[in-house]
Amino acid sequence: MRRPVIGTISFLLGSIAASMGQTQELESVIGDATSGAQLYYDHGCHGCHGYSGYGRQDLNNTGSPWLTNEEVFRAFLRARGNEAPILPSTAMPNYPKNSLSDEMARDIYAYIRSMPDNRPETDDIPTLRTILEAAEQREFSKGREN
Amino acid sequence: MNRKNPNHPNQYLPKTDRRKFLKGAATSAAALAISPTSKAQEPSAYSASYTAPSYQQMQRDAGMVIPPMPNTRTVVRPGSDLMVQALKDMGIEFVASNPGSSFEGIQESIANYGDPPNHLPEFITALHEESSVDMANGYAKSEGKPMAAMLHGTLGIQHASMSIFQAYHTGTPMLLLVGRDAGFIQAHTAADMAAMCRSFTKWDAQPTTLEECIDTLHEAYRQAVTPPCGPVMVVIDIELQKEEAQNFQLPPFLPAVIEGIDTATARDIARRLLNANNPRLETGPFRTPEGVESAVQLAELVGASTSTTAAAASMGFPQRHPLCGPGSDTNYDFVLGLEAASPHITLKRPTVNSLTAERDEMNIGFGSLQEDYVPNPPGAEPTPMQEGQQASQGTLLNIDAQASIPIIISELSRLITPAQQRMINERKRQYASANREAFLTALAEAVEEKKRGWDLSPISTARLYAELWPLIMDEDWCLASPSNFSGGHHRQLWEHNKPYSFLGTQGAGGMGYGLGASVGAALAARSRDRFVVNVQCDGDLNYAPGALWTAAHHELPMLAVMHNNRAWHQEYMFVQYLAGVRGRGTERGHIGCVLRDPFIDYSKMAESYGVASEGPIEDPSLLAAALNRGVESVKAGKPYLIDAITQPR
Repeated sequence: MRRPVIGTISFLLGSIAASMGQTQELESVIGDATSGAQLYYDHGCHGCHGYSGYGRQDLNNTGSPWLTNEEVFRAFLRARGNEAPILPSTAMPNYPKNSLSDEMARDIYAYIRSMPDNRPETDDIPTLRTILEAAEQREFSKGREN
Repeated sequence: MNRKNPNHPNQYLPKTDRRKFLKGAATSAAALAISPTSKAQEPSAYSASYTAPSYQQMQRDAGMVIPPMPNTRTVVRPGSDLMVQALKDMGIEFVASNPGSSFEGIQESIANYGDPPNHLPEFITALHEESSVDMANGYAKSEGKPMAAMLHGTLGIQHASMSIFQAYHTGTPMLLLVGRDAGFIQAHTAADMAAMCRSFTKWDAQPTTLEECIDTLHEAYRQAVTPPCGPVMVVIDIELQKEEAQNFQLPPFLPAVIEGIDTATARDIARRLLNANNPRLETGPFRTPEGVESAVQLAELVGASTSTTAAAASMGFPQRHPLCGPGSDTNYDFVLGLEAASPHITLKRPTVNSLTAERDEMNIGFGSLQEDYVPNPPGAEPTPMQEGQQASQGTLLNIDAQASIPIIISELSRLITPAQQRMINERKRQYASANREAFLTALAEAVEEKKRGWDLSPISTARLYAELWPLIMDEDWCLASPSNFSGGHHRQLWEHNKPYSFLGTQGAGGMGYGLGASVGAALAARSRDRFVVNVQCDGDLNYAPGALWTAAHHELPMLAVMHNNRAWHQEYMFVQYLAGVRGRGTERGHIGCVLRDPFIDYSKMAESYGVASEGPIEDPSLLAAALNRGVESVKAGKPYLIDAITQPR
């Protein structure tokens, strides 16, 4: 039972190693992003990755090698079939083929790739500018006063 | 003569003569109220073998029966008046409770004792005992001293047990007053009431005379605040509350005397600090604000760079103090640990787990199942070292750092030379510059990270904290709710400079704590021109939302901002992971974890409890204005709730 997992991981590591040596050029997408958005929600991806790819683990603009192409992404989804720690885990779940078909994985991948970059320039966010400027100006004073 | 408690030979059970009196009176009342038929069908109200409340008893408890006119007795100076005076003498500001017949004497005294009638301690009306104790927890964390919660017999203790359990794990001092009335409803009383949670309280007592009761209250306070700090319980018989005190003179309250290190050790530490070229203070949470002030004084006296736990728990070293940070050189040649581990010398007060062997009658175990587990105050590093251990981790002295610092300072003042003083002044200047740079660099990095998904809906948890900060940074604020589940972004974005800036975690990780603790912190804040921020998780709120009413009723300055992700998302992720590795897919992982179909409208919930509110708000561009309205409301002394719909994490 361990051999397929080891094989999968080896394949993934090889893919990553290959991709790490190159510019992170993302390959074209053939899935249906609209269908993928629904699947993304139904399968609870938002629990960790947020409704739009920003969350406990970002999906947008991360440069993650797992998102280089649909094949690597799909292999990553299926890589943890025999990993069942005793303690609760918030690690990435396994997605076997019987619960998430190749076509469904392809659509989710398409949706992830369609997610907008939402990291405005700091200078364009008054709140964050205020936080930075205030920290520069503020001085600590003793006692219970600010 | 009192009977001895068979479970605790050094304790006495209450006298029985008055018991007979009350028993007779209550039975007469029941007899007046019920029909002959029902009376015939009901067993004797106080049969020793019948423990469930009878119909008559329930009728009386529900107010359906006119109480009897007992034999007239004149009580001009009830014992409970003296108990309230004792609470006043100890500086207890608040007693949180929902009413219970077993402490009606104390409750009446809190309301009416004195001329004009008493207002300190103030009776805080809670809707659940769990909330009462959480309030005491939040208050104590922000002020470093106990408030009281009053519990009704066996029922109140069990309702409160979860919150007591959490307070035990954070070593929070609090006074738990339990009413006991052995003659009324048998199910509500017990021979040894405190046994129900003895495993997770520090100390308890069940006095048998009024004199003993006053002494016990004084001792309970001292026990609560003396390391190892923790919740203490005093079981007070209703008869002691109602008896005539006559000429009994209330003894003065003598505060606790907490031991620090001996002068020889203090001198040795002082010498090491002065001889070091690059001294360091590693600091954890102190007991009270005075401990924080002492630590600041020590750091300034020796020019030591200092770590802090202020962003993780209350009573931490001020984060923006010029000496707080890594300093200009992280190769420290002497490190003094003050409630935090050091490679050289650590002073660390004992924690309640040191009492487990003595008090864990239920054999819960408390961490002994896991090697080296220490239920430290949140933010402190677990310390597996034993007292006096000489190892690479240094020497651990199990003694209170706060009480020791003044002794070290005293020795320092005697030893310091003008040359050393000049060197220290120069070092302080360098460290201040380096620490400021380190803080600003870390903040700039955090800002870059926190802007991810800035404009997305639902609202990112980072934006929620970021939008709050400019609105409160120049106010006197306290973040009272735990923040782990809402991202904890204040740790990187806000400045925690007060002993009460952030009150830390639940203690044992139990849900239902955030609102009650925030209300307790707001009790402290109300008279101190301060206000409380509560980033309130939706799952947590639903355990005991009635504390919202307490906030409205007592006009508490609390701004609650919902982290409403409409789920228990931590568990959602757990179930998803498990379903995935079992090969069953994650589509059904939401079952039992999400709060949808229907969504809960927290704005309406708050409104129904009398708290001004708005929401749900999903559009992040509307958040800042809503927060501003909330801040203005709480600054005017009115609690406010904003239902913000947020990203899961």
